[in-house]
Amino acid sequence: MTRPTDLLQGTLDLLILKTLSWGPAHGYAVARWIEQLTGEALHIGEGSLYPALHRLEERGWVESSWQLSSTKRRTKVYKLTVKGRQQLRAEAGAWTQFVDAVYKVLKTEEQPA
Amino acid sequence: MSDRWLRYFELPRRDPRRDVDDEIQFHLEERVADLVRRGLTPEAARARAAREFGDTHLVRDQTLAIDQRMQRRGDRAELLHNLWRDARVGFRSLWKTPTFAITAILCAALGIGVTTAILSATYAVLIRPLPYPNADRLVAVYSENVARGYHGTNISWPDYKSWREGSRTLEALGIWTWITATLSDDATEAERVSGAWVAASLFPALGVRPLIGRGFTEEEETPGRDLVVLLSHRIWERRFGGDSAIVGKRITIDGKRYTVVGVMPPRFNFPDRGDLWMPFATDPATEVHGNRGYAGAIGLLRPGRTIEQARADLHAIDAELVRQFPNDNFGWDAEIKSLREDLVGDFEQPLKVFLVAVGLVMLLVCANLANLMLARATTRGREIAIRSALGASRQRLAAQLLVESVLIAILGGILGIAIAWWGVRLLRFAFPDQSPPFYVTLALDGPALLCAAGLTVVTGILFGTVPALRATRTNLGSTLRDGTRGSGSSTHRSRLRSALVVSEIAISVVLLVGAMLLVRSYRNLAGTSLGFDEQGILSARLTLPSARYTRAQAKLFFDELLTRLRREPGVTMTASAQGIPFSGWNLQAGTTVEGAPPPKRGEDLVVHYQYVTPDYFRAIGVKLVTGRWLTEADHDSLNPVVLVNEQMVIKGFGGRDPIGKRVRVGGDRDPFATVIGVIRDFRHYRLPQPMGPAVYYPYATYPGRQQTIVIRTTRDDPSTLAPALRAAVRAVDPKLALYDVQTFEEAVSKSLWRQRLQGNVLSIFAALALVLACTGLYGVIAYAVAERTRELGVRMALGATRSNVLRLVLGQSGRLVLAGIALGIGAAAVGVHMLDSLLYGVQAIDPATFVAVPLLLALVALAAALVPARRAALVDPIIAMRGE
Repeated sequence: MTRPTDLLQGTLDLLILKTLSWGPAHGYAVARWIEQLTGEALHIGEGSLYPALHRLEERGWVESSWQLSSTKRRTKVYKLTVKGRQQLRAEAGAWTQFVDAVYKVLKTEEQPA
Repeated sequence: MSDRWLRYFELPRRDPRRDVDDEIQFHLEERVADLVRRGLTPEAARARAAREFGDTHLVRDQTLAIDQRMQRRGDRAELLHNLWRDARVGFRSLWKTPTFAITAILCAALGIGVTTAILSATYAVLIRPLPYPNADRLVAVYSENVARGYHGTNISWPDYKSWREGSRTLEALGIWTWITATLSDDATEAERVSGAWVAASLFPALGVRPLIGRGFTEEEETPGRDLVVLLSHRIWERRFGGDSAIVGKRITIDGKRYTVVGVMPPRFNFPDRGDLWMPFATDPATEVHGNRGYAGAIGLLRPGRTIEQARADLHAIDAELVRQFPNDNFGWDAEIKSLREDLVGDFEQPLKVFLVAVGLVMLLVCANLANLMLARATTRGREIAIRSALGASRQRLAAQLLVESVLIAILGGILGIAIAWWGVRLLRFAFPDQSPPFYVTLALDGPALLCAAGLTVVTGILFGTVPALRATRTNLGSTLRDGTRGSGSSTHRSRLRSALVVSEIAISVVLLVGAMLLVRSYRNLAGTSLGFDEQGILSARLTLPSARYTRAQAKLFFDELLTRLRREPGVTMTASAQGIPFSGWNLQAGTTVEGAPPPKRGEDLVVHYQYVTPDYFRAIGVKLVTGRWLTEADHDSLNPVVLVNEQMVIKGFGGRDPIGKRVRVGGDRDPFATVIGVIRDFRHYRLPQPMGPAVYYPYATYPGRQQTIVIRTTRDDPSTLAPALRAAVRAVDPKLALYDVQTFEEAVSKSLWRQRLQGNVLSIFAALALVLACTGLYGVIAYAVAERTRELGVRMALGATRSNVLRLVLGQSGRLVLAGIALGIGAAAVGVHMLDSLLYGVQAIDPATFVAVPLLLALVALAAALVPARRAALVDPIIAMRGE
């Protein structure tokens, strides 16, 4: 499997933090949300979500607990921590700046003097 | 290991493997269910879900790795957190009970301190390799004559030559002998230094090469070619300013010019702190078979050969020598031992005794600490019960108690290192001249500190575990229900504590007995009647270079020096001898009494002899028994007159009056000498060696160049005469250097340093033991009384008098003390034989000691018990019964 992990990794982390900012969710729900919102645009192996989630947990940006799902299954539910929310804000800001900058370049017609 | 350690603290743990599997499984199943709901067949749904998910194994491994890392980190944090919390709680509870804390910490500190000090001394002396590269293969060779009781005596050159040429077990052998020499140049003050004559093969055998220059060659072992010298690094730096061009230069030694061929490396010492070495050159006198006048030889075993093999090897050569030279070699054998044993052999037995003693002290410390902890656990029974009722697991409680004892051990350990540092310093100062010999590096270094750390941990766990486990085994209900302190349930614990106290007392008995025996031995030695009066005498040695002094000139020199000194205020008498008592100076020779039947082989009379000035014996306070003193007029060297001692009268003359009889010391060519007087025996040899027969010649009949000057003074401190003595020597000949300037008292007291040290060390241990045992006893009785307060109150209410109660409590202590003493005496009677070789003038099973020690211990122990017993007797029954 060859894919631009680095870029994707950071982006994936950002997407996960964003989805969790709406409320606690298990991994499957996070996967569905990302799929719905991005359509086919970002094609990620859904499996790579899990190492990402656990890494976020290791960093203290999300925390997890075991709960019973609606189907009475044992599920691991993730929740954004205060630190995670700050991280999301910081990363989202950086991302927007980055996108703005790239966009500005792309929009420019003339070669700068 | 961390896993088990953690489980000791905490709940059953989660399994990250199962968690990750569950999580992935859940994801896949939910996806399949979704897809099926959207109309896919289950097979298609499963295939699609798997495709979307990617490599499950990879995901699982990556995720698991993160989780495990997280878990480890969490565990560590938790362990630290728990430890920190326990340590804080421990600190707080120690702070609240300062008496307990201080007692326990001091106790641990003393134990760890003395043990570390003794272990570091043992390491330094018995284990640390000697400072020579070939240390493990080096042997020292001397002569012995078992029939005559001579061991470790000087060797003869012909014997050495035969050993060297005939031995198949030794790779190298080099003869050596002590020398002292005077360095004198015009520029600097003359200086007396010691060193050795060494065979060219000796330093290579040690494995040491000169730092600069070269060693000796075999050609330099011949007279005339032997005017070469090797210098120590020390003297090269001090006297020659580290001159790098010194090799090839000539220096003046004893009035002769020697060429420096090399400088030995720093910290090289041989045989003791030598400063210069010259080749061992032979002359006709050296080659006489019976001339056993050279200190010894150093050999290097061939790899794989043992000392036993080398001994057999040399003894075979000796047997051949006896066949060839029966007159000179009958009864003589090579004595061979490892160089280490030769150097530190004397220390081995005392160190073993110290090790055993310190081991006992350490046991005592542990017993005492365990006792303290148990007693504490008793008073904390309720606290522990309440905490466990509130949900603290047994593990957590035990961990808490264990951390507390480790805390005590660590604090004790830190203090202990300070004590050990101080102890090592004391030991260093205990050596003569305030410094140990070069091959003993006494220091509180790596191994010693490691041992202190080890002891700390072991002590902490040893005395912490049992009380921790016992305390937490408390039956919850009964302790809480009891309400009062103590009835039934604590008898178990107090029995353990009684056993501990009994063994503490037993150990103290053993240590006290040992200490008393060694102290008595030292007292006996120190109190030995020396036969001379060591007070008010200053002595010093002086050697005149043969290049500038003939024997006649030597006599003139010494006469003038003694006359000058006699004029000093406070000086009453001056004299000289070749060797003074306790100096180690000892010349002996075979002696014939005129008219006596020739002795059987191996039974000939060997006497100590020397040349002394007429006033020598009066100056050192030796009494004349019969006959007359020597006078200045006794200088006829063809028909000399001599004094003999009482031993000589017994051994040489069968106890009959020797005055007027004639003796011959030495061989056929020596003259017969007429006995003119008998003096009392006095201790010339170091204690405990007894005096043997001796013959004393007038100095005037054969004036030597090396004499020891003796000055008797009325001054309180004879050493105040030293400046005057130096000035007098300078006035007569400024190129001479005085050495070994010391008072007789110093010489005597120095020679007993080892016995004194043994007595002191064991006394310190015994005193420690006594204090520890009494603290232990006091603690046990005090707690027993506290526990029984209510019972005692009831007894008193029912009519028991105060003296009844006192007797009750003292009786309890008495039983423990008696049991301990009985046990201790039994153990001491067996163990005391370890001291046999260290005792002097006292039997191992010394009745006085075996009576005095138990009595002393019983008295001290009962005094320790009296305090709580009195407290019990003063109990107010009303308060005791009402109160908790």
